[in-house]
Amino acid sequence: MLPPVRQKVMRHLNIVGQLQPALHEQTHAPSPDMIDNAHFRAYTRSAHDVGGEADISITWEEKEEEVWEHNTFVTCEVLAWRGVWNAEERRRRQNVEVGQTIYLGLPYYGRWLLTAAKILVDKQFITATELQEKVAEVRKRYE
Amino acid sequence: MSKPHYDREHHVKKASGIGDPQCFKGEAPEAMFKVGDKVRIKDLPDLFYTRTQGYTRGAEATVTELVYESPPAEDESWDNTENVEWFYSVVFDMKELWPDYPDTFSSDTVETEIPEHYLEAC
Repeated sequence: MLPPVRQKVMRHLNIVGQLQPALHEQTHAPSPDMIDNAHFRAYTRSAHDVGGEADISITWEEKEEEVWEHNTFVTCEVLAWRGVWNAEERRRRQNVEVGQTIYLGLPYYGRWLLTAAKILVDKQFITATELQEKVAEVRKRYE
Repeated sequence: MSKPHYDREHHVKKASGIGDPQCFKGEAPEAMFKVGDKVRIKDLPDLFYTRTQGYTRGAEATVTELVYESPPAEDESWDNTENVEWFYSVVFDMKELWPDYPDTFSSDTVETEIPEHYLEAC
């Protein structure tokens, strides 16, 4: 029996192996001549530009926003108010810079929250190790 | 000094009490197009960021409104706000965008906003 932390690692490796790749083709470490202009454009396009892509329909559900979602929205607006980003930079970061897997895979406000943390590191308001320590500290409260 | 120093609140100061994109009013060069003009959406490279939908590239549309002046999304998303241009609301026939669109709904259209540097006369 693996210790809990190693079980968690193995579960993680299993999940990431199943995440939807950008293209349903052989994609790992292609040689340069496998990437023609059309594939380059497909890989580098803005991930939010999904209009016209074949997909299955999403079920519409009426749902109130949760408290953490409201808090996330307010936090992001305050970051704009204080000049950390403008609305367009926020959209670029949460819809495009995250990449297609996260764009399609995480909940809407999950992307907002992830991006709020990221820009504070990117623009040197906090350090990555400070964030790491804080997240670890908060996680301990739930163990 | 390893950290950049600039006035990170420049946009807040400019837009407070006025709004965005209203705060860019009057900064764009003279509009190249007017209401009713036929335009084609340029197929510009969309490396890193764009809000001009891929499905509109190369399609023809008609200008319905000059909506506001603003830096294009590609610039504003890196906080480059010096080059302001007109944004146009343009309308496409659905059949122009989707060749297989059913004839039963041949009068359907879609309208969207496109910045001037993506438009050419046709």
